Amino acid sequence: MLRSVFASRTGTVSVVVLAFVALLAVVGPWLAPHDPLLQDPRAILAGPSAAHWLGTDNVGRDVLSRLLAGSTLSLVAALEAVAVGLVLGVVPALLSVHLGRAVEWLSLRLMEALVTLPFLVFAVAMTALLGNGLQQAMLAVGVLVAPGFYRVTRAAALPVATAQYVEAAVLAGASPWTVLRRHIWPKVVPAVAVSTASLLGASLVIVSSLTFLGIGITPPTPTWGGMLATDLQYLFQRPFGPFVPALLIVATVWACNGIADALRDAPTFSAERKVAARV
Amino acid sequence: MTVSVAGTGWDTAAAVARPARPRRIGALGAAARWLLRTVALTVPVFLFATFLTFLLGAVSGLSPAGLLLGDSATPADVARVRAELGLDRPVLVQYVDWLAHVVRGDLGSSWLNGVSVSSQIGDRLAVSLSVAGFALLIAVVVGTLLGVGAAVWRGSLFDRAVTGFCSVVSALPPFVVAVALIVVFSVLLGWVPSAGYVPFAQDPGMWLALITLPAIALSLDAVADIARQLRTGLAGAYQENYVLGAVVRGLSPRRILLVHVLRNGAGPALSVLGLRIPMLVGGAVVTESIFGMSGFGRFAADGALRGDVPVVQGTLVVAIVVVLAANLVVDTLLLRLRPAARRRS
Repeated sequence: MLRSVFASRTGTVSVVVLAFVALLAVVGPWLAPHDPLLQDPRAILAGPSAAHWLGTDNVGRDVLSRLLAGSTLSLVAALEAVAVGLVLGVVPALLSVHLGRAVEWLSLRLMEALVTLPFLVFAVAMTALLGNGLQQAMLAVGVLVAPGFYRVTRAAALPVATAQYVEAAVLAGASPWTVLRRHIWPKVVPAVAVSTASLLGASLVIVSSLTFLGIGITPPTPTWGGMLATDLQYLFQRPFGPFVPALLIVATVWACNGIADALRDAPTFSAERKVAARV
Repeated sequence: MTVSVAGTGWDTAAAVARPARPRRIGALGAAARWLLRTVALTVPVFLFATFLTFLLGAVSGLSPAGLLLGDSATPADVARVRAELGLDRPVLVQYVDWLAHVVRGDLGSSWLNGVSVSSQIGDRLAVSLSVAGFALLIAVVVGTLLGVGAAVWRGSLFDRAVTGFCSVVSALPPFVVAVALIVVFSVLLGWVPSAGYVPFAQDPGMWLALITLPAIALSLDAVADIARQLRTGLAGAYQENYVLGAVVRGLSPRRILLVHVLRNGAGPALSVLGLRIPMLVGGAVVTESIFGMSGFGRFAADGALRGDVPVVQGTLVVAIVVVLAANLVVDTLLLRLRPAARRRS
């Protein structure tokens, strides 16, 4: 699977970028030269210097340290949201294929309703009304990306469920679990892998938008989105302040999309081969 | 559904080269069927979406009692206020009651200041619709130009430039674009004010200047998506036999594009446009807060942060209605544009 990503140049660059950001998120807090919350009244809105490589913000906190600390939170938040979406999307999709028309109709309409809800308004509403916190925000974002997983899983599982070899397996006495594991799962995994990569990027955008609005993770805790919001208020003092947090968000999202594209285009990454090899 | 394709016109050259058009005879029946199908699909979605909206307020555990009475309220006071407002009834009963008011246009009143939510949204909707409408216009016009250009000159430098543009832009969140636009056009160049809103009736020039940056920020994503889908769809249509037939018959490239290719290849792009509309409406929350516009999205965000449940529910309902209406328009266009879509359903 990884080999197929590395087969394309965009895929390789994307993996490198994502690995770099992930490294920042994991070891960032130890690399940080200062406490991300420590305010230095002598250096407010200062430019880059030896002590503060990326300068300081409006209350004299070290921007580099805040970025590193924010990386962890932003990435973990996006990963959590995707995990929630994966469960809430894939499971109903598989059930909708197997449990008959009532479940199918119900889950289809529910997912359509979720798609109809304006993403951000709903995320803001859900997070704020359920108590403004990280877990609530991740739940909201997860619910909102679930239809994406639902759609691709269903599209991949539906043709298999009615295929003759599955019918033969059922007639031969295979349990539903075996059918799912042996026949449907291999078809679903590639589609879900592509979606996971692209929805990880989408989740990161939503998480950043929420933290930008001060929802989910509230100040003074550093996040990429939150830092952008602060920088926006001091544009006239530090016009290039938003550049680095914005660059981190854009690079990460771009890398996620790049990996999704590489996975989608990869000729070696096809389920048919694996199934054929096993049969 | 069944639509007969037999009979008419396989003997004429035009019908061979063109996708078959449905016969007029079944038009009324088809329209009725379409209406029925639309109602059958839209109404459950509306009910589900509004129920989710209502449920959100119900499970939040927030009540106007807490907001109105403050922290010193005794449990008895809280219970009395809840009973007065009917919040002690079962959720489903409350939902039906609420929905009955909603369909009559009554979205309740704010828990904080008691002002009618409908009228507050009405005051702010013009701001949001100006921005969202302009963004939609940009998305359709620019997206179409880029997508058609890339498909017509497949493999050219322009095609590759559009592909590159799309891949970069789809990684740009609207709020990052918004911040970048403010930095460049307001802070560095000083061309337009960075925030605010002026009604069209008051100063049309200023109105346009102020909504342009938020509209661009909101639309870029959609521009890229439409361009990409249109390019894929049109490139696919160019491979079809009826296009080859049209070329052989010596029709001009322009006629082939307008009559044969666009009609058949624009479907996916239109569907994507339908999916984009919720994001345009939802994006208002962020862009309005960045550009300091007191529109519908900011109203929703402020209401949510203050725990003003009727405001949040009201804004969500309005957003759902706008999105469903827009999707209906897109669906109708899709059917009119592509005869094949009529057969598929």
